Amino acid sequence: MKHNTRRHKTSVGYKIVLGAIYMFILAPQIIIVLVSVNAGQYLTFPPQGFSIKWFVEFAHSEVFLTTMRRSFILAACATTVSVALGIISAYSVVRFGGRFRKQLRLFMLSPRLFPAVITGVALLIFYYRVIGWGTTSYWGLLFAHVLVSFPYVFLAVSSQLYNFDLALEEAARTLGANKLRTLVKVTLPLNKAGIISGAVFAFVVSYTELPMTMLLAGRNLTTLPMQLYDYIRWSFDPTGAAVGIVNIFLALVAVWITEKLVGLETLRW
Amino acid sequence: MLGLKKKDRLVEQILASRRVVFRCFCRYALILPVAVFIVVFLVIPYANMVVTSLRPFLSAGRIGHGLTLANYQKALADPYYLKVLGTTVLCGLITTATCLLLGYPIAHHLAQRETKHKGILYAIVLSPLLVGAVVRCYGWMLLLADNGLINSFLQYIGLGKAKLMYNFFGVLVGLVHIYLPFMVLSLIGPIQSVDPTWRSAARTLGASGKRVFWRITFPLSIPGIISGSVLVFLLTVSSYIGPILLGGYSVMVTPMLIVQTILSGVNYPLGAALSFVLVGCIAIAVILIFRATDKLLKGVDIYEA
Amino acid sequence: MATISVTELHKKFRDVVAVDNVSLEISDGELVGLLGPSGCGKTTTLRCIAGLELPDQGRIFFGEEDVTFVPAEKKDIGMVFQNYALFPHLTIFDNVAFGLRTRKVPRAKIKERVDEVLATVHLSGLGQRYPKQLSGGQQQRVALARSLVTRPKVLLLDEPLANLDAKLREQMRFFTRSIQRDLGTTTIYVTHDQAEAMVICDRIAVMFSGSVDQVGNPREIYTKPVTERVADFIGLANLVPARVKSLVSDCLCVLDIPELELAETITATHEGQLSTGQAVILMIRPEGTSLDKVDAETEKDVNSLPVTVKTRTFLGNVLDYRVETANGHVLRVEEGPGKLVEVGAPALLSFPYKNAWTLLVDMDKTISSS
Repeated sequence: MKHNTRRHKTSVGYKIVLGAIYMFILAPQIIIVLVSVNAGQYLTFPPQGFSIKWFVEFAHSEVFLTTMRRSFILAACATTVSVALGIISAYSVVRFGGRFRKQLRLFMLSPRLFPAVITGVALLIFYYRVIGWGTTSYWGLLFAHVLVSFPYVFLAVSSQLYNFDLALEEAARTLGANKLRTLVKVTLPLNKAGIISGAVFAFVVSYTELPMTMLLAGRNLTTLPMQLYDYIRWSFDPTGAAVGIVNIFLALVAVWITEKLVGLETLRW
Repeated sequence: MLGLKKKDRLVEQILASRRVVFRCFCRYALILPVAVFIVVFLVIPYANMVVTSLRPFLSAGRIGHGLTLANYQKALADPYYLKVLGTTVLCGLITTATCLLLGYPIAHHLAQRETKHKGILYAIVLSPLLVGAVVRCYGWMLLLADNGLINSFLQYIGLGKAKLMYNFFGVLVGLVHIYLPFMVLSLIGPIQSVDPTWRSAARTLGASGKRVFWRITFPLSIPGIISGSVLVFLLTVSSYIGPILLGGYSVMVTPMLIVQTILSGVNYPLGAALSFVLVGCIAIAVILIFRATDKLLKGVDIYEA
Repeated sequence: MATISVTELHKKFRDVVAVDNVSLEISDGELVGLLGPSGCGKTTTLRCIAGLELPDQGRIFFGEEDVTFVPAEKKDIGMVFQNYALFPHLTIFDNVAFGLRTRKVPRAKIKERVDEVLATVHLSGLGQRYPKQLSGGQQQRVALARSLVTRPKVLLLDEPLANLDAKLREQMRFFTRSIQRDLGTTTIYVTHDQAEAMVICDRIAVMFSGSVDQVGNPREIYTKPVTERVADFIGLANLVPARVKSLVSDCLCVLDIPELELAETITATHEGQLSTGQAVILMIRPEGTSLDKVDAETEKDVNSLPVTVKTRTFLGNVLDYRVETANGHVLRVEEGPGKLVEVGAPALLSFPYKNAWTLLVDMDKTISSS
């Protein structure tokens, strides 16, 4: 790698390396997009032409549509519960945590510290042998999803709440607002960004969750990631890519919302 | 004029304690639902899994009573299981090293204040995380498969085929791709917090750009390197989707083994034991890394992860 | 009647005593300042009075009503915070109207009152802007408007001008004072800027380390400080340890100054009980002294000592001298621009009895006279 003596940041070699790594990161997503509009069955070089037939296939696929709908609804429900849990836990840890704030924070993030697969195993055994739900309960799956998504809401809300200027709440109090009014008129509106970006992340995490869901979802509870997983293992038909586009689109929307609301740079674990 | 009597003092104390009680109530009332939720759906299942791992396995789906260490004996002594564990750890180490190699330049680039279009670059790094492991691996499958894009290209230019998937290479590519963003995010903070005035000071003392980097920036970002590596290692070793999609059954890692044991063999005790062996491995690795680096780093503050 | 009465207020945070037995009486319509360095407990005292903090001991009365345990939202107060605490998500109009809305004032009345108060602070027409679109000075005026629109009994100001630049601060001092005068609201003003307190306040309570050293009007505080800390904090002072040799009358005493190694003694004014032999501090303000030629005549009722001029600085409207006594003690002198004395030359430092003030030694001697 060539370095000029002044600032090695601007050397050409460095730029090429960076570019290559960014391309590496983007590669599979780009391929999915290309494949989904590829005329041929297999992705070959040279490309075979443009076609939207795979999207048509997707639109006609009963299975994909059902599982997609199920995943959306599950993610929506899980996100709702996660947001509720995330907000009250963030508020209580930041405001009332006191000396135990660090430990409480760790406790709230603990579901993400364990491997998803193993949490899935633990929950499976738990559901079968302790609760008796087995893999047939929607609630079981829902709670599992809430478990792994609410830490994201907690993280986003608690970060913003931590930097919240308490003087704003005190000013509201001196103007006669009681605790409830202050919460509703001042605190919540000003922490909207954290709540929304946390919710967005929680939704995507639930929507794309696989290892845990695979273990816990019974036959009638197949989610989209599960369906797609099965599909791509046994067929190379690019319909799967058309389905994948939805995920990519969702991811871009989520990233865009987060950037607009809180700025991606502020994300810290 | 307004003397304080003993009764007044008592009233004071009562009123003061009312506020303290209210505060305490708030603290516990708010956190209770969440704490209960985590205890019921995380702590208890894991505790239950510990117990399960100590139960004797009778046959598919049947678990006996009493406690035994047979499952752990099998998990830790069986050569096949050990080989799988070894493969898993090896995967973890190579993935972590590669992520470090590829992630550091990106993190360094993003940490510079002068970098333009940071929003877009961040989006590039972060959006794969939100796309989902399945879709990402699918993309790699399309690229790496025997009749995938890369091989198709190689054939087109006359270089013949290369086996890029269903082997160690494919798994590594997938894992590196999946966990690279985590490494980048872990590194940006520490690199950014290296005070640019230190670099300027070094330059005024005659150090070239390269020297400045290796002597100042890099050593001070080591805490970030450590926390990023620990995170990536932890995640890689627990990964299921990547290995199974890109490695098939030719690369066996412990999470796959666990799922197989649970789903096909319906052997909960063994699955549970294997799970804890994996968790134990992770814990040991993390402790070792932190111990080792404590000795290496003197005079550099370790940021709390 | 909106009088404020604070009695034996105590407040502790963990192990730190923030407010230590503070008592204060404020009359209706008065503007009283709480003045002191950071950490002296002035803000904590204010917050206790506001109802944002609960005191550990003591009582706070608004008029006849005991409001010690009444929380801020139930009190009829207006408060301006140091960083203004304007709600960033609300327009200026909504910010100012906030207090009226919580009191369920009818909508038409709200508009009338908000417009009125915005006009008073010269911000008419900016109602639809957001706080971040306003300058620091404008934000400060919005904060003031917001606190006054509800016509509170008591107005509490916590270093309201601290974030403004010097010139704006000066303008705003007079502005704030005139509004308060017009409305006649009983006000407490917390500041660390002694010039500000001197300009605005009817009376000042000077605080250090949680307790009030002295309460009085600006003139009293300046000319007759009770403790070293107060003397040192307000304006410039020469402080010299001394001992009472004898008491001439109930306002004059004769002091021995061991440090200056004088053959003669100094006669100074005092107030309150002093006893012979008591250790005290002699205070001489630089502008209360003058420098003359060594052999100049001593006038009646004037102390004088021989000194050597060490430095001379021209400050525009005054000459600032540092002079050294026979045993090396340095004193500051302020003279008119006409009185030029050469550096290194000997001179006679003189100050009339009435410019020499005796004050008590601090309990915890944290200031050393220089």
